[in-house]
Amino acid sequence: MGQSGTAPLVQTSGLTKKFGDLLAVENLTLAVEAGQILGLLGPKDAGKTTTLRMLAGIIAATSGQARVAGFDPSASPEKLHEMIGFLPESPGLYGKLSARRNLEYFAGFYRGIDGSRIEAQLKAVGLWERREDKIGSFSKGMKQRLALARALVHDPVVLLLDEPTAGLDPQAGRELRQMITTLREQGKAIILSTHNLPEAESLCDRIAVVHTRLLAMDTPRALRERLFQREIEVELQKPNELAYKSIKDLPYVKAAIIDGCLLRVELSEPETMQPNLIATLVKAGAKIMSVTEKRHSLEEIYLDLLHKEADGKR
Amino acid sequence: MASARRINNILLREWEAIFRDLNSALFVTCLPVLILAQAMVVVWLLAHYGGEAVATSSVFMTAIARMAGAMPSTDGLHNVDMLRLLLLNQLPLYLLLVPAIVAVAFATFSILEEKLTQSLEPILATPVRTWELLLGKALSGAVPAIAATWVCAGLLVAGLHVLQWDHLLGWVMTASWYLALFLLTPAVALLSFLLGIIASPRAADSKAAQNIAILIILPVMALIGIQVTGQVWFTPILMLAISLAVIVIDIMALFLAVRLFRRETIVSGWR
Ligand SMILES: Nc1ncnc2c1ncn2[C@@H]1O[C@H](COP(=O)(O)OP(=O)(O)O)[C@@H](O)[C@H]1O
Ligand SMILES: [Mg+2]
Repeated sequence: MGQSGTAPLVQTSGLTKKFGDLLAVENLTLAVEAGQILGLLGPKDAGKTTTLRMLAGIIAATSGQARVAGFDPSASPEKLHEMIGFLPESPGLYGKLSARRNLEYFAGFYRGIDGSRIEAQLKAVGLWERREDKIGSFSKGMKQRLALARALVHDPVVLLLDEPTAGLDPQAGRELRQMITTLREQGKAIILSTHNLPEAESLCDRIAVVHTRLLAMDTPRALRERLFQREIEVELQKPNELAYKSIKDLPYVKAAIIDGCLLRVELSEPETMQPNLIATLVKAGAKIMSVTEKRHSLEEIYLDLLHKEADGKR
Repeated sequence: MASARRINNILLREWEAIFRDLNSALFVTCLPVLILAQAMVVVWLLAHYGGEAVATSSVFMTAIARMAGAMPSTDGLHNVDMLRLLLLNQLPLYLLLVPAIVAVAFATFSILEEKLTQSLEPILATPVRTWELLLGKALSGAVPAIAATWVCAGLLVAGLHVLQWDHLLGWVMTASWYLALFLLTPAVALLSFLLGIIASPRAADSKAAQNIAILIILPVMALIGIQVTGQVWFTPILMLAISLAVIVIDIMALFLAVRLFRRETIVSGWR
């Protein structure tokens, strides 16, 4: 339940999908309200597409429940489909048909969509001028915009967007993110998947870090504090065990490892404690060649989260 | 009502795709005519140059005797006319090649197009039901296939007129012929389309998929072989039985196709 007291438009509990022996999504529980964007952030094969397909009623969950726009996706997909817009990973448009005809065709599966609605949609995604052109000649960004117009043509309340900006150039990606932000303002409940951390940060109200399981779900700000600890890499002139020992048990050192001449240290408060660390090292006789600060790559964060979860289970 | 609208929506786009593609448009229009023309030329050549000698040869003797037994009214006809009749009576069977080939081509074309454009996933996210999608596609293939066969049948009658064989018409347009045209042809068209639907997702390209057409051509050729060598004569009863058998196979194939066409399988297996 949100602060406003409205029921979430998307809600899952223990959602699980197995393909034979392969566990693609495990025990996923999440909720999204109107006017909210939830980002499913995860690497390739993390189960993002599978999750969105289950929510869209395209594939059936192995176990667990879901409610999307008031419907159970596995029970009444046709009613559900009136209420949701789905943007698949690849646009899936007919290259030999015009932009207008493509949109008309997909609109033909819904009730009461007329020419003026098609026109408005084409204008909204900036393709009205190109409406009679075959989309085979369109750029990736234009196709993706048309696919978004298709997902919106019946004015759904829930939007499921599978990697909406993947493979787009920066400009096209920005345009699409702009459109998605507008849709949030219109009060749609949006779930989008991405493997792009900055995108998730800038676009989403909440981020669900997924890797088959849900590893963490929070606002970008809270996640940043949890995940984005920085690591300092100190390059020594020669291996120095003593220097390592002098710092490894300091209260502000969360973790430290030495690997030849490289000393990697994770600090709890890098801004204030980095000078102290260096002073301690020098006092212990370390000859420092360089100090670099490393942000964790997303991949490392996942692994880190996975390890932590595995540890926690033990 | 809503179903009809969605089926119609599918049907129209399928035809748009087919008739926009020059190859497939030519295929649907020219191939049936070629099949018919080639058959008629063979009939004419055999009757014209072979004549009496062929008509009384041991090759066709049993078959002609069987035909005479099935159609006693042919009693007064001379030998060459009997040969013509024997050959002409193969044509309703031969024309089954038209629905078989056209429908399977449409099915493979349609499925491969969706597979290549990856358009099935967004379609499955709309309110369309799987059976509507399947029926829309099946109609888009079966209707032109059946129509092409009927046009060929019309051309055959016209051809007999041109050859001034009108006096034989009554023994060609028999109950068997009408059964072949109005019962067996739709049944074969549907079967062929369903086989195309079943096989296409597994085929790497349209060539491989259309090789499946061979599967359905073989039994048609076998039917002709059986009749022309005098093993049996396809009386109306027998023709009806064959049609019903194909309809039963149709129903089994439909169940199989619907099973294979489950949403999950499409998205999973067709990657
Ligand atoms: N239809 C399917 N059949 C079998 N395995 C699948 C299928 N779809 C996805 N998978 C597997 O499930 C896992 C999650 O895939 P997916 O949901 O596509 O991940 P993502 O979208 O995050 O890259 C992967 O290991 C993938 O190979
Ligand atoms: Mg994916």
